[in-house]
Amino acid sequence: MAVSNTQVIFDNLYGIFTDLAIVVGVIVFALMAYLIIRYRSKKSSSDPEDTPRLGRIPTARGHGRNVLITVTLSTFLLAVLIITSFAAVDTLFPNTPPNATWCYGIAAYNQTQATGQSCPRLDVTGHQFYWVFRYPNNHTYTNFFRVPVDTTVVLDVTSADVFHDFGIIQFKIKTDAIHGRTNTIWFIPYTPGNYTIQCFELCGTGHVGMIATLAVMNVTAFQNWYGSAK
Amino acid sequence: MSQDIFPPRVRRWLFTTNHKEVGILYLVTALFFFVAAGLLAVTMRTQLSVPDNHVLTETLYNQFVTVHGLLMIFWVLSPFAFGFANYIIPLQIGARDLAFPRLNAMSYWFYLFSGVAIIMSFIFGAPDLGWTLYSPQTAFQFAPSIGLNVGAAALILITVSITMSSVNFLVTMFKMRAPGMKLRNMPVFPWAILVTIFMMLYAFPSFLAAVLLLYVDRAFGTFYFSSLQGGALLWDNVFWFFGHPEVYIVLFPAIGLIADVIPTFSRRPLYGSKYVIGSMIAAAVISFIVWGHHMFVTGIGLTSTKLYTVTTIAVSLPFDVMVIAMIETLTKARVKLKAAALFALGAIALFVIGGITGVYLASVALDHALRGTYFVVAHFHYIMVGGSIMGLIAGLYYWFPKFTGRMYNETVAKIHFIVSFIGFNILYFPMFLLLDMPRRIQTYAPDTGWGSLNSLATFGGFIFGGAQVLLFVNIFLSQRRGPPSGPNPWDGWTLEWSLPSPPPAHDFDKIPSIAEDGTYHFGTSAGLPHGAGYPNGSKIGDGYLHSHFEGLSPWPIVVAFAAFIFFLGLTIGQPSSPTTPVTFQPFWPLILDGAILGVIVLYGYSREKFSVHEESHVESWPFREVPNVKLGIWTFLGAEVIFFGVLIGAYFFVRTNSPIWPEVGSLFDIRNGFAMTLVLLTSSLTAIMALVSAKVGSRNGLIVSLIATFGLGISFLYIKATEWVYLGSHGVFSVAYGLPATSYFITTGTHGVHVFAGMLMTLYLLVNTLKGRYLKGDHQAIEHFGLYWHFVDIVWVFLFPLFYLI
Repeated sequence: MAVSNTQVIFDNLYGIFTDLAIVVGVIVFALMAYLIIRYRSKKSSSDPEDTPRLGRIPTARGHGRNVLITVTLSTFLLAVLIITSFAAVDTLFPNTPPNATWCYGIAAYNQTQATGQSCPRLDVTGHQFYWVFRYPNNHTYTNFFRVPVDTTVVLDVTSADVFHDFGIIQFKIKTDAIHGRTNTIWFIPYTPGNYTIQCFELCGTGHVGMIATLAVMNVTAFQNWYGSAK
Repeated sequence: MSQDIFPPRVRRWLFTTNHKEVGILYLVTALFFFVAAGLLAVTMRTQLSVPDNHVLTETLYNQFVTVHGLLMIFWVLSPFAFGFANYIIPLQIGARDLAFPRLNAMSYWFYLFSGVAIIMSFIFGAPDLGWTLYSPQTAFQFAPSIGLNVGAAALILITVSITMSSVNFLVTMFKMRAPGMKLRNMPVFPWAILVTIFMMLYAFPSFLAAVLLLYVDRAFGTFYFSSLQGGALLWDNVFWFFGHPEVYIVLFPAIGLIADVIPTFSRRPLYGSKYVIGSMIAAAVISFIVWGHHMFVTGIGLTSTKLYTVTTIAVSLPFDVMVIAMIETLTKARVKLKAAALFALGAIALFVIGGITGVYLASVALDHALRGTYFVVAHFHYIMVGGSIMGLIAGLYYWFPKFTGRMYNETVAKIHFIVSFIGFNILYFPMFLLLDMPRRIQTYAPDTGWGSLNSLATFGGFIFGGAQVLLFVNIFLSQRRGPPSGPNPWDGWTLEWSLPSPPPAHDFDKIPSIAEDGTYHFGTSAGLPHGAGYPNGSKIGDGYLHSHFEGLSPWPIVVAFAAFIFFLGLTIGQPSSPTTPVTFQPFWPLILDGAILGVIVLYGYSREKFSVHEESHVESWPFREVPNVKLGIWTFLGAEVIFFGVLIGAYFFVRTNSPIWPEVGSLFDIRNGFAMTLVLLTSSLTAIMALVSAKVGSRNGLIVSLIATFGLGISFLYIKATEWVYLGSHGVFSVAYGLPATSYFITTGTHGVHVFAGMLMTLYLLVNTLKGRYLKGDHQAIEHFGLYWHFVDIVWVFLFPLFYLI
């Protein structure tokens, strides 16, 4: 089930990589197994003609042609992977996150900013060992935040102390939380429900419990909550 | 120093300088650390086997994670490989030992003592923030434990060990090959080591600079890494500039020996060996421009991440060539599936899986999901355990008969392979599927659904760990009572197999030579030299031990011990203030002990009559005209260039990231800088005059030039000291003086230490000159000092404008 646009993009790309990996892996391992079985030493077999002997440098063996073919084929495969990766990364991490009309969920309640202008953003700050989320109306929440479904959510992530990493596990997205820097990520949640946020960089004793919850809500439920929240 | 206080057997192992014995010491020590780090891993796997488990506290778990990583990377993988390199490479290239046998022994003792230090760190609270030691968590306020300081000392010591070792190997392989042993005629294993040491020489100085800055931050309250301008990303860049080549540094020796093992057991030459070697060189070069892929999610910008995606994916091409060449070697072959061959082929198979999954992580898009998860853990264990450790075990079985003269038990070894291979995959494959689980967490909740895969992995871990018992029992029993192996049990064709097993102390009775048609000739070249470290015809055993000249030296171990004490003193002091523990007060008694001992032993070291013969008829392209010591110094200076390059790079990094920087001349007086530049440049001139005087045999000229050089150096240090005192008395030398001062004190301080070392050298040269040396064509020492001195001056030529003029 698709839970967010980022998860869909990841799954598609991961699928392409895995398909190619399986093809390459099967070819390589089949070739290896075949050669080992086909040419394994038997009692009747004797050394090949060009077996090197102690007392002289082995003769050179192999064609540049085969190496060239291998490299060409691999380059072709890798080019596919690079191009598909770039397509995904251009969607996910443009230099400025998309603003457009998708922002209605939070922007509608951001009284200082008119709808349709640049996306309102949540500030996310990592601390040893908790996450703080600040909404445009300056309300802050510790270790949980809520967003409306089908909305572009933009997060500006930073750290108040050491190196953390902010990851929403089911959404397959994360970014480092670094003191003095702000890293921006965005996503569109597709399905209401609770999702787990965890710190992905060892940040001290307490790191294991640095877990937060993201609640994705229906738009009206979110609007009620956001409007009534103090 | 009397050498007779130890029984002969003990004395031999403590004082040996023979490359084969040092190699064995390396192997045994590396296997010891392998067991230690492995036990840490097994404990961690036990902790993770079920959700909400509490066998280990979180702090202890984090310490285990960190020390396991550090031990395996620095104290197991490379030393394991360099144990083989020590023993085998001189044999394979037809040399009688490494170029600098005592330096080699010293490298080993630095390695051992650094390992002692890292394990000792548990006493003080071991480092607990992952082997990557990310900033700013290493800052004192986040990591007040002394254990991290001890860890830093251990890392500095092992870097010294590795630098000495790589200089030694480089000179040996470029200068001491048997006649006709062209570079292209070397087997792949020496080639892999050669490429590895080049990477070491240019990667480790970056690491040394990083750890040094870290140490100074912690001990003296500077804040390169805890500042907003430097901080996390400075460490990331400097660490990973080292860190990615390091991955290949631990991998290449295994690839090289696999590339020699597979042909031996398939009875055909390696397919396309020149392409394999070319690929290694290509991968080594590219390894220096891929470090950004460790920083994909730090926010380094879209364009940079794309660039690093391309370079990282491109680096898989040369590995592709290596793997295909090894597989194609099997065509029309006669594959003998002995244990060594099984481990080599198994390592290739596991490496293929590790390599393919590495391409996933090279993709910046996928990395946004996979970063910091068990997918990464699975990937690099397939490379480092699957590729490196399995490959090195292949080497252990392959060369065991050469080391001991005995055969291991083949059946037990095959069972060892099968159980290891199955256990390995049960251990690590489930981790690919745990691609949501963060790495380095002590436990996880039951509702995550990660429990069953973790249980499976732990089960595999016990199988894999248990299988290694077979290895140790097998080699321990077989080296005592295995059947004799003879010189060449595998019908191998590289030079080491032409010698008895184990080879005699001096290796070759007659240095072999290789004719144009590729055939070896023994005994046509010069016979055993005198003073080569071993008496003519000696054997390991009683005759060797009781011979007049044993090739033993007590100094390497004592030098290493002095350095160990010194660095320990630098690290295990009390916090300078119990209420606001911002900096450490170093423990001066130990530092002084170490320094005094160091001066005494360096004097003893230099006085010891230990001549190393340079063969006259050897293959030494491309450094035909360059003596060994000089090449060693050049190589060392190459590493120094990187070291200072990183320090200057760190200065640029914080400066460009700082919104404000003091005006020129407001903090540092230009006149001071100008005076120091003048003094130092003049001293370069006097150093040249010293060399000229020595060459023409003018004793007085030499003495005057050396005194002048010494005086100018002292003047430089005097001006520097007054400047420091002045800045200090104006409040700049305090905790809160900012990055301009931090970078100034660290960079010019490091340079000042180099000048000070140069002063000690001139004193040493002066004393010997007064005794009448260096005049009769024996001026090399003056020349070598000059090389070093000019380098130190050139560094200042860069520092002067950077700090005083812009």
